[in-house]
Amino acid sequence: MGLLSPLALLWAGLLAPLVVLYILKRRRQPREIGSTLLWELALRDLRAERPWKKLIPQVALLLQALAILAGALALARPAGAGRVPAGARIAVVIDTSASMAARAAVGSDDTRFSRAIRAARDLARSLPPGGEMMIVEAAGNAAVIAAPTRDASALERALATLRVRGGGSDLEAAVSVAAERMRGSPSGSRIVLITDAAMSGELALDGRSVPVEVRKVGEPNASSDNTGIVAVDVRPRSEGNTPDRADVFVRIARFARTPADVYVTASVEGRGVVASRRVTVGPGAQESVVIPADLPPDPSGRAPIVRVELSLASAAPGEGTGDALTLDDVAVAPSPGVRRLPVFVVGDASEPVVRALRADRDVELFATTLTALAERDDDAPLDGLVVYAGPTPAEAPPGDSLVLAPTGESVFGTPLGPEVRRPQLVRWEESDPRLRFVSFADVHLAASRTVRGGLRPLISADAGAVAAVLVRPSGETTLLAFDPARSDWPTRPSFVVFFRNLVERARAHRAAGGVPPGRTGEPLRVPAPDGTSVTVTTPAGETMRVVSRGGVALVPTDAEPGVFAVRVGERQLFALRNLLDEHESDVRPRARFTVAGVGATVRVADRVETQEAWPYVAGALLLLLVLEALWATRKGAT
Amino acid sequence: MSSLLEPEFLRRLARLRVLARKRFAGSAGGARRSMRRGSSAEFADHRPYYAGDDVRRIDWNAYARLEELVLRLYVAEEDLTLYLLVDTSRSLAFGTPTKLEVAKRIAAALGYLGLTGSERVAVVPFSSALGRGFAPARGSRRVGALLRYLDGLEANGETDLTRAVDQFLARAPRPGLVAVISDLLDPGGFERPLDRLASERHEPVIFQVLDREEIDPTPGGDLVLVDSERGTKVEVSLDARAIAAYRARALAFLAGVQAYAKKRGFGYVLAGGEVPFEDALISYLRAA
Repeated sequence: MGLLSPLALLWAGLLAPLVVLYILKRRRQPREIGSTLLWELALRDLRAERPWKKLIPQVALLLQALAILAGALALARPAGAGRVPAGARIAVVIDTSASMAARAAVGSDDTRFSRAIRAARDLARSLPPGGEMMIVEAAGNAAVIAAPTRDASALERALATLRVRGGGSDLEAAVSVAAERMRGSPSGSRIVLITDAAMSGELALDGRSVPVEVRKVGEPNASSDNTGIVAVDVRPRSEGNTPDRADVFVRIARFARTPADVYVTASVEGRGVVASRRVTVGPGAQESVVIPADLPPDPSGRAPIVRVELSLASAAPGEGTGDALTLDDVAVAPSPGVRRLPVFVVGDASEPVVRALRADRDVELFATTLTALAERDDDAPLDGLVVYAGPTPAEAPPGDSLVLAPTGESVFGTPLGPEVRRPQLVRWEESDPRLRFVSFADVHLAASRTVRGGLRPLISADAGAVAAVLVRPSGETTLLAFDPARSDWPTRPSFVVFFRNLVERARAHRAAGGVPPGRTGEPLRVPAPDGTSVTVTTPAGETMRVVSRGGVALVPTDAEPGVFAVRVGERQLFALRNLLDEHESDVRPRARFTVAGVGATVRVADRVETQEAWPYVAGALLLLLVLEALWATRKGAT
Repeated sequence: MSSLLEPEFLRRLARLRVLARKRFAGSAGGARRSMRRGSSAEFADHRPYYAGDDVRRIDWNAYARLEELVLRLYVAEEDLTLYLLVDTSRSLAFGTPTKLEVAKRIAAALGYLGLTGSERVAVVPFSSALGRGFAPARGSRRVGALLRYLDGLEANGETDLTRAVDQFLARAPRPGLVAVISDLLDPGGFERPLDRLASERHEPVIFQVLDREEIDPTPGGDLVLVDSERGTKVEVSLDARAIAAYRARALAFLAGVQAYAKKRGFGYVLAGGEVPFEDALISYLRAA
């Protein structure tokens, strides 16, 4: 039950002066006089002159106060969802596409999604005895989040898990799923699809024998006007020798009948605004903006992330467009530097190794030493591949690393065996991505040490493992216990392919931050060892912690564009989330609903249908007035 | 002399007497005309002779002309009985001076005139019932007793003029001049008892005693006015509006009493208004 006009409840404030009139008593000095006869007559004259008379506590007042309350409540238009026939089953299909994050009406803080949830909640509350309700989420894939149940708390819990997703929604599939689960339901059952209908074309809903009722949330008027970013890309500039120069390409679309002036502002996280452009976007048109920017990596080698934001020309930057949908007012994109992988070579790497690394045009080699690394002031871990040639530090660095021909007794805690001369390679893990298209069939090593401990062997010789993989929460270390220069491997194509695989893997980890790409509103799938606590900071600054299960931490997020900072142990990852979907940015209700299948029916309501209860309250008001009149006439109210 | 009668006031009263507009039947020969036929020298009428009549009153001249025996009737001169009905209810204890004080002075003045004018004077105090009165007396020698009696009256009880008059008439007094000295602030009203007095051949004269504050109250504050007799409370803010309403009601009340007296032919004197009660009383006595 909700109130369609909650402000009307202010009328109940009339009770306050009413009560005050009753309880307020003026202090008066008593004075004895000869006779009050003339004063009584005079005051009677005064009362006759006044438009009001002295209030005296009486039953009539109580009835009138109740009448005021009932009247105020009636004017507030209390309303609840339509009732469900007794014993019937109802399937509520809720659209969770990105457009549902649009505001429901001009001047309202409600979103279409919140109204949809409210409508579903009202339906749950109006379930009659014996009635059951199920909830189906209509996102990219339909999902039953609550099986048919009469447990209100279970339904409430299921509704609490729903979030607006970043993509579209397959309403037809969701209705079909609901219809399938509603097969054999008693008479009076129905499927209620709650959607904003912000999708193009015709939707054929097949409820089979169950009638489908479409309830629209959102208004098809100016509240649906929207301007949004539908594409963003950051590319290196073709001219010039500076690799850090880039162009930020932004495409903006206007979904309205009127043009809009907006500012497109590009900024870099942690550095501030890079550039801003004013653009006029015509009704139904798209405009492209190119913003040149210098995007050098930070001292850790991390490529910057560009944030593009729309704001009204009449408002200050950062205040947004104030239009229907805010999800598409912000977009983030990695700079082209993400593609360039810094490779830090620690020690004296052999010439074949350096040459193999340089074979990748997007690799930037930095030569350094263990001493220099230890003296770094910056706490941020190196954002790239670290190649140790010979000595290694005591602890593995965060991120990916490669160890070649280690000289110590152990590598990152893993003991090494003595050098073995002319080991015969007998096995290698062809399924490992590092060894993709790599063969050691005709490779001969002059010498190698063996890897002991519990590491996963990568290449095994007759004397033991000569290469292994050390997987840590903060990164991976590939250990080659031999010097490639002391083998004929560099003369084989597989040598360059191996290093290319290694670099690509490090690049993939770095570019995606280790978190697979996804849409806004979808959970972040953060790879992490079981039991690891994963901390995520949302673009809005909220922090949440999730413990990894089965090697992945599933972090639920709201539909929010921007950079999600993920920390897994010492490893810092970044997940970028954007809407960038012109179909979802067009939040104007425009879908047409038709019937699919034999015997199916579809009824469309332009807005969420509510059953207003104010007539009942108004009836109570009339009854109170009648009672008051009866009391006044029969009992002689004064 | 009592303080109820100041010497200056007495000098002014000396040339006056209590006059009644009616003629009353007295119990003895008095100084004023009686409604009864008597033995004075003033001829009144003839009537047929009946056996047993005093033959000395037969008008022989008329017999000579009419050949019928008729008697000559003369106007009897009898004394006047003045009843002073003095309101001694608690409401009379208020005012500056108290209304009871003024009522006593009026009663003293009237009693003085009556006793010195060979009238019979009786004082009947009343509140909700009649009190112990001053028995009818005649002669100037009783003036002192009268004043002492009046001096001892105290305010007490509620006003019930109707009941008081009923009790007064139940004693079947000889018709006379009844001076009702009261504020007339009686919830039961004053018209009916005064009408009853008139119907019993008395001549009521109204001496209404009010304090100036009761006619024109002074503004000031939020008060609970407590009725001295009934204890009823009236919450009132003494602002200009309330006072104007009260004044209008008070003046209407006074005008109502005056109009009633005029309509019935009763004498009416207001004591306590703009004019001092002595002046008002003397003006009445002169005009009567």
